[in-house]
Amino acid sequence: MNDAVLSFSDIRQDFPAPGSDAGIRVIDGINLDVGIGRFVAVIGPSGCGKSTLLQMAAGLLMPTRGTVHHRGRAVNAVNREVGFVPQQAQLFPWKTLAQNVELPLLLRGVATAERRERVAAALDAVGLSGFERYFPSQLSGGMQKRGSIARTLVYRPDVILMDEPFGALDAQTRMVMQNDLQMLSHNAGATVLFVTHDITEAVLLADNVAIMSQRPSKLLANIEIDLPRPRNVFEPFKNPGFEDAYDAVWTVFRSQIGIRNQPH
Amino acid sequence: MNDLATTADRPLASRKSSAWRSLASKAASGLLTLLPGVALLAFWQWASGRWIKEIYVSKPTAVAARLYELFASGEIFPHLWTTGQELVLGYVIGVAGGIIGGYALGRSPRLAKIFEPYVMAFYGIPKIALAPLFIIWFGIGIGSKIALAAIMVFFLVFYNVYTGVRSVDRELANLTLVMGANQRQLTYHVYFPAAAPYVLLGMRMAVPYSVIGVIVGEFTSSIQGLGLFIHEASSTYDPAGVFAGIVILLAFVAVANFLAGRLERRLLRWKTLTATAPNDI
Ligand SMILES: Nc1ncnc2c1ncn2[C@@H]1O[C@H](COP(=O)(O)OP(=O)(O)OP(=O)(O)O)[C@@H](O)[C@H]1O
Ligand SMILES: [Mg+2]
Repeated sequence: MNDAVLSFSDIRQDFPAPGSDAGIRVIDGINLDVGIGRFVAVIGPSGCGKSTLLQMAAGLLMPTRGTVHHRGRAVNAVNREVGFVPQQAQLFPWKTLAQNVELPLLLRGVATAERRERVAAALDAVGLSGFERYFPSQLSGGMQKRGSIARTLVYRPDVILMDEPFGALDAQTRMVMQNDLQMLSHNAGATVLFVTHDITEAVLLADNVAIMSQRPSKLLANIEIDLPRPRNVFEPFKNPGFEDAYDAVWTVFRSQIGIRNQPH
Repeated sequence: MNDLATTADRPLASRKSSAWRSLASKAASGLLTLLPGVALLAFWQWASGRWIKEIYVSKPTAVAARLYELFASGEIFPHLWTTGQELVLGYVIGVAGGIIGGYALGRSPRLAKIFEPYVMAFYGIPKIALAPLFIIWFGIGIGSKIALAAIMVFFLVFYNVYTGVRSVDRELANLTLVMGANQRQLTYHVYFPAAAPYVLLGMRMAVPYSVIGVIVGEFTSSIQGLGLFIHEASSTYDPAGVFAGIVILLAFVAVANFLAGRLERRLLRWKTLTATAPNDI
């Protein structure tokens, strides 16, 4: 594909395993393209290497074999064109919320006046205006998560990598955040690579759902989700076509998790 | 979210009265802290000469009189000056070395692999045992005491800083790199603040150790200093002099602790905030 912003080609990853020379093969040949402006969700069983893929895209880990290309250039050092939203918010505890969000701009040499403006806009976008001077320990988990997202949006990275960003949130906060993310990424026209193991979340948010198999993992399918936007994340089954899309993903995914049949 | 907002909007009057209450409770707890000390002094004064011979334990009024005499006559100043110099230099050298060494080894796994076993081996040696050796190497002047204090302080600070730097979350460091940081910015924005609590803890713990190093050095052999003064007072059966010397040392430590506390509160505002927040609400 030519319009791919991010493309994984023929990725393999071996990790040293404790107590054996051979090592363990975690990823065994994955090809995946993330088109420009697309929201791609990656799901797969625990330990199949989803986080590992994101690490590679961010240039924090070199694959054993294969290459990740970002806009045609091989990623072989830390990739500063991406933004990373980790599972834990990982705000800097010693900086206030505003200083946290400001940091990427500071590091990139953005002028003071513009920094102030963009920080205010980013905090406003995630609904955290008025909390500029709070330290992360004074914010709730959901607010920290919003802060973390604002800190990424503020420098407008070319691709946003998200690793189960809503995994640790309660159900209500989670839905609200999903809704906000859907709006924010749509308005910004952002390219997003989103790791989750929640099928509903993947189907609701994504344009494409990539399904990985168990370790050593391969790509089982890359299913296009054609539901109209904006989607109703609060009542998933009210989205016309949701059931079929969910079924399509689930049919592929169910083979990867051991479900024992209940005797009747 | 709502809790925070309501705290800010609370009527002024109630905030004022609660400020008064917290001031009063602070004063009360201060008095409570003083109580055992006062009781001990009173008991000491009372028991001295009654239960125990004064020649063994002196008494608070005699110690106070001796302190006054020492300062009024100026007899103590040369000792103070010498010991003060030794303490400050030993402490500063030890802290600086500890921070640099701990930081370097904490950041570089390769250096750590080579040097860690040595440092840990030396860490286990009781540094006091080195006092006679240092006297031989650095003479009986202030050099040997500085060296002894510095080495005791060094290991403590080193160990703390090393632990602090190694405890920095790798994910956070990586995240900062992706945000666009170079190594210098990573150090400034992540490693320094993350290690700061450990550095300050080490610095605070090191204060009494620098005193021990200096005083033991002076006991062992010296020309001048508080340690020598205390040593001489005890060998001439002058307990008031011994206690007077100890009181001066106490004052040293108290001042150093106060300064360290101030520094800590300033640098670790983000930490103390968390600790006190729930009490306010
Ligand atoms: N640095 C490493 N050294 C050795 N093994 C590793 C390393 N990083 C990851 N692994 C292994 O790679 C596998 C995949 O890890 P990864 O974190 O990518 O899984 P994941 O798909 O994100 O799982 P989860 O859904 O639980 O987060 C795991 O089995 C893990 O043990
Ligand atoms: Mg993971």
